[in-house]
Amino acid sequence: MEDVSGLLWRVLAGPLSAAVVIWLLCHKSKFYADFGPVMERQMAWIVAIIFLTGSTWFAYSAFSAVRDGAALDNQPLYQFLSVGDLDFSINWSLDKLSGLMLMVVCGVSLCIMVYSIGYMHDDPGISRFFAKLSFFVFSMFGIVLSGNFLMMFIFWELVGVSSYLLIGYWYERPAAAEAGKKAFLVNRIGDFGFLLGILMLWGITGEVNFVGVKNQLAAHAVDPNLLAVATVLIFCGAVGKSAQFPLHVWLPDAMEGPTPVSALIHAATMVAAGVYMLCRVSFLVFGSPVAMEIIAWTGGITALMAALIATQQNDIKRILAYSTLSQLGYMVMAVGLSDPHGSGYMPAMFHLSTHAFFKALLFLSAGSVIIALHHSEQDIWKMGGLLKKMPITAACFAVGTLALCGFPFMSGFYSKEAILGLAHERNHGLYVLATATAGLTAFYMFRCFFVAFLGKTRGEHAGKAKESGWVVLVPLIVLAAASIFGGWFGIPEWLVENNAISAEHAPQIVMIAALAAFAIGAGAAVALYARGAVADPLNRLPVISWVLRNKFFFDEIYMVLVKVGQGTLAWLCGFVDRWIIAGLVVRGLTATTRGAGQTLRLFQTGNVQTYALWFAAGATILLYCLVR
Amino acid sequence: MDFLNILNCTILTPLVFAAGLCFVPAAKTHAIRWLAILGSFVTAVLGVLAFLWFSASDTGFQFVNQVPWVAALDMSWHVGVDGISVVLVLLTGIVGFAAALVSWDIQSRQKEFYVLLLIMIAGAMGMFASLDIFFIYFFHELALIPTFLMIGIWGSGKREYAAMKMTLYLSAGAFVALIGLIALYLALPADVRTLDLVKLLDYARSHPLAANVQYFIYPLLLFGLGTLVSLVPFHTWAPVGYGCAPTATAMLHAGVLKKFGLYALIRIALPLLPVGAHDWNGLLVVLLLGNIVYAGLVAMTQKNFNYLLGYSSVAHMGFVFLGIASFTFIGLTGAVLVMFAHGILAALLFALSGYVYAQTGTREISELGGLCKPLAFVGTLLVMAGFASIGLPGFANFPGEVMVLFGAWQAPAWQAKMGAATVSWPVPLAIWGGSVIGAVYMLRALRNICFGPTPVRWQMLADANLFARVPYLLLLGVLIWVGVYPRALVETIKPATAQIITAVEKAVPAVSLKR
Repeated sequence: MEDVSGLLWRVLAGPLSAAVVIWLLCHKSKFYADFGPVMERQMAWIVAIIFLTGSTWFAYSAFSAVRDGAALDNQPLYQFLSVGDLDFSINWSLDKLSGLMLMVVCGVSLCIMVYSIGYMHDDPGISRFFAKLSFFVFSMFGIVLSGNFLMMFIFWELVGVSSYLLIGYWYERPAAAEAGKKAFLVNRIGDFGFLLGILMLWGITGEVNFVGVKNQLAAHAVDPNLLAVATVLIFCGAVGKSAQFPLHVWLPDAMEGPTPVSALIHAATMVAAGVYMLCRVSFLVFGSPVAMEIIAWTGGITALMAALIATQQNDIKRILAYSTLSQLGYMVMAVGLSDPHGSGYMPAMFHLSTHAFFKALLFLSAGSVIIALHHSEQDIWKMGGLLKKMPITAACFAVGTLALCGFPFMSGFYSKEAILGLAHERNHGLYVLATATAGLTAFYMFRCFFVAFLGKTRGEHAGKAKESGWVVLVPLIVLAAASIFGGWFGIPEWLVENNAISAEHAPQIVMIAALAAFAIGAGAAVALYARGAVADPLNRLPVISWVLRNKFFFDEIYMVLVKVGQGTLAWLCGFVDRWIIAGLVVRGLTATTRGAGQTLRLFQTGNVQTYALWFAAGATILLYCLVR
Repeated sequence: MDFLNILNCTILTPLVFAAGLCFVPAAKTHAIRWLAILGSFVTAVLGVLAFLWFSASDTGFQFVNQVPWVAALDMSWHVGVDGISVVLVLLTGIVGFAAALVSWDIQSRQKEFYVLLLIMIAGAMGMFASLDIFFIYFFHELALIPTFLMIGIWGSGKREYAAMKMTLYLSAGAFVALIGLIALYLALPADVRTLDLVKLLDYARSHPLAANVQYFIYPLLLFGLGTLVSLVPFHTWAPVGYGCAPTATAMLHAGVLKKFGLYALIRIALPLLPVGAHDWNGLLVVLLLGNIVYAGLVAMTQKNFNYLLGYSSVAHMGFVFLGIASFTFIGLTGAVLVMFAHGILAALLFALSGYVYAQTGTREISELGGLCKPLAFVGTLLVMAGFASIGLPGFANFPGEVMVLFGAWQAPAWQAKMGAATVSWPVPLAIWGGSVIGAVYMLRALRNICFGPTPVRWQMLADANLFARVPYLLLLGVLIWVGVYPRALVETIKPATAQIITAVEKAVPAVSLKR
C-alpha cells in the first residue's frame, strides 16, 4: 500500500498544474507566438480534462484505500510555518467523509468540464475559462482534504477567489463584475467570523489540527458557552460560503457567471463546502446544543425563505439558484438537527451528494436551453414548447426536477426522507417547516418545467431552438443516471458503520406527509401552469407576489445599510483626514514654523557686530557648561 | 581582505556604480540605464547571497565587520546582520533591482535619476546592515534625501507640494527620533556610553535603564520613527507623497524606506526600552487600530489610485505595529514577515500603477476601466496584487498577517471578557479592517480599473513587453514563493525575534504568556 499522502498531493497537483500550464502556454497573444511552441487555445480543455482525469484516478485510489480500511500513514506534505505555540503544516484528512466528497467533486467536475467544451465553444476566452475552472477544482480538493483549520481557511479563500473570477468571467459586463465583487465581499464577512472562530479554538486548545483540537476537547473540560461561541463563529464561515440567511444575497447574483460555473461552483460543490466543513468539525458542532439549535434554525429559515422567493422568479437560472439556496438550507438544518449518537451527519452529507448530481443536472439542462436560445434569453416566459424541440434536454430537466422534488425512488427522495425523518424526530417546528418547503419546491420546479418546456413557443429565439450537440448531452445523461440511481449507491451505509442505524427509515407518517406535500405542490403547478399559461396568474396576488418578486427586499435593505453605515463612516473619516488632520493640524504646524522662521529672521540682521555678540554669548554658555 | 565582506559589498556596490555613472556623458542614456540596472542587479545578487549564506541556526549577528572610527564617542563602522535585518537586506536587493528596471519611463535627466536611485539603494542597505547608531541614522538620511529630490524633479501632479510635505514630515520625524537617540546615549552612565548597538544591547540586558527614563525616551522614538512609518495621525504625507512620486521612488520608498522606522523600533527601541514600550502600549494600540481601520475607511473615499495605494500601505503598517505591540514571539515574527511581504507587494502595486499611468496618463479611478482587455498581462497582475493586498492565501501577506493575529490573540494585556468568551479585543477590529474594509476598497478599485466595458480611448493601449514584464514577474514570484512556503523566511527570522522577546519578557514580566 502506497503512502496515502503521496496520493493526496497528486490529487491536488493535477488541476493546479492544468491551471498553470494553460495560463502559461495557451495564449493567443502575439508575445507567445514569437517564442517557441504555442498551444492552440482549444488545447486548453484537453489539458484541463487530462489533468483532471489523472487527479480523479489518484482520488479514486485514495477512496479505495479508505474503503479497504487500509492503515493510513498521514504524513504532512510540508511544514507551512512553525513559531512559538503555532504549528501549522499542510496535512490531510482522509476518511469516509472526505472520500465521499472527493468522489462527488471529481464526478461532477469531470462531467462539467466535458460539458463546458460545448457550452464555451465560441467564447474567445476559453483558455482563461479552463484555467480558472481547473484552479477552482484544485482549491475545492484542498478544502476536502484539509487536515487543519488554517489549511481549510487557505483553500476556503482560494475557492472564494476562483468563484469571484468565474462569476466575473465576462468581465466587460458590468453586472458580472459587480456580482463577482459582491460574492467575494459577502463571503469575506462570513470569513471574518470563521477566522475569529479558528483563533478562539486555538486559544482554547492550542491546536489547529482537526485531530488535535478534537483530542484536546475530549481530554479537557471546556466551558460549554465558550465552545458554543467558537462554534457559531466557525459556522459564520459556512453561512457565507453556503449562502445561508442573512448572507444569502450573493448567490442569485452569482448566476451572472457562465452556466457550467453556476452548475459546478454555485450549485454542486463550492456552496456545499460550508456543509462539508460543518461535518468535518462535527466533533465541535455536536458538542454544543446551543450552536446546533442556531445552525438548525438558520438552515430552516433559509430553506423556507428561498423556496418562497423561487416561486416568483422568472429567470431560469435564478429559479435554480433559489432552489439551491433552499436545498443548502435543508443540509445546514440537517447538520443542526443531527443525532450525534445515531446517524450523525449522514443525512446532511447524503443530501449534499445527491443534490450535487441533480442540481448540476438541472443547471446543465438549463444551460443546454440557453445554448439553444443563443445565450440571449433566460426568461422562462419567453420560452415554452421546448419539449418538442429539444426532447433529451427536456427529459433530463424533468429527471432533475423529479429528483429534486423527492419523487419516489429517485435519489432526492431518499436523502430528503432522511432529513425529514430526522427533523420529525428532533424538532417538530422545523419538521413542519421542512415539509412545507418540500411542497413549495415541487410547486416552483414544476412551474419552471411547465412554463419553459410545455405550451406554445413564445419568444423568437425559442421558435428557432434546436437540440444541443452530444458533447453537451452526454454529461447530461450521465448526471441524469446519477440523479435517478444516486439513492441506491449505499451512501448512508458508507457514512454510518452501524447497519441498524443506516437501514433505519423514517416513520411512515413522514413519508406520507412528504408525498402529500409533493402532490399538493405539483398539483397546484399543474392547475396553474400546465395548460399553457402565458403570464403568471400569481402576479395578481397583490402584496405577496410583489414582495416575493423583489426577494423580500434584502438587496435594497443591505444597500441602504451599507450606504448609511459604511458609506457615512468612510465619508466622515475622509473628511477628518482631509480637513482636520491634514488641514488644521498640518497647516497649523506649517503656520507655527513659518512664524518661528519670521521671528528667527529678526536675529539675522546682516550686522557683523550683532553676530559677534551672539557668537560670544553662545561660546560663553558653552564654556560654562563644559567647565562646570 | 576582511573589509570586502558581503555586507560591505552590498552597501558599496550601488555607491560605486553611482560614482561610475557620474563619469558617463549624460547623452548616452542607454549606457546609463544599463549600467544602473547592472549595478542594482549586482546589489540584488549580493543581497540574495547574504540571505542564502546566512545560517539560520546560529543566533547573533553574522558577517560582522568592524572598523573603529571615532573613539571618543565609541563610534565605528560596524556591520552585521541577524535574522531580521538579513530579510530586509534581501527585500532591498529585490525591490531595488525591480525599481531600476521600471525606471525606463524616465525621460529627462536620466543620469541624475539613476545616481539618486542607486544612492537610495545603498542607503537602505547600509541602514539595515549597520550596527552603529550613528551609521544607522546616517544611512537613513542618505536614502531619504534622494526621495525628496526625485519627487520634486521627476514627480507628477502636485509634486512640489508633495515633496515639501514629505520632507517636512519625515525630517521632523527623524529629528524627534534623533533627540530620542541622543537622550538614550546621555541616559547611559558616562563610562559605558557608546553608539555601538551590540554593546548597547548587551549592556541593556544586564543593566536595564531606569523605568522613568525609559518612559520619557520611548515616546520620542515611537512618534519620531512612527512618523516615518506613517503611524496615524502622522500619516498624511504618505498618500500625497506616493501619489506624486515617480514610480521607482514610490516603489523603493513604500517598499523599503518605510520599513526604516519599524526596523529601528524593533532593533533599538524594543530591546533597549522594553518598560517604556510597555507603558506606551495602550496608546500605540489605539493608534495602530487607527492605521488599520481608519486609514482603510479613508482609502474607500479615494479617487486617485495611487492615493488609494498610499492609504492601503498606511493600513498595512498597522499590522506590523500590531505584531510589535503584542510583545509575543509569534506576533513579532509575523510583523517582520509582514514588513517583507508588504515591501514586495507595495513595490509591485506601485510598479503596475505606474505602468497604467505611463499608458493612460491618468490615475483617476473613474477615468479608467476595462483595462483587462487591452492590458491582459498588466491587468491580470494588478488583480493578483490586489488580492495579495487583501491577504489572500498563496501570497506573502497572508502568513505574515495570520501570525500577527495569532500573536495578538495571545497577548495577555489585551484579553477582554465578552460574554462567555475571552477575546483579545484589538483582533476582531484588525480582522475587520484587514479583511473586510481592505477588500471593499481594493475590489472596488479593481472593478473600476480592470473590469467593465473598455472606453474607446483605452482600447488601443499596449500591454507590457517582455522586458517590462521582468520586474513584475520577479516581484510576483517572490510574493508567491513566500506565500506558499513562508517557512523559508520564518525560520531565518525566528532566532532574532526570539532573542528580543526573551529580553522583553525578562524586563517586563507582565507581558510573558501564561502557561
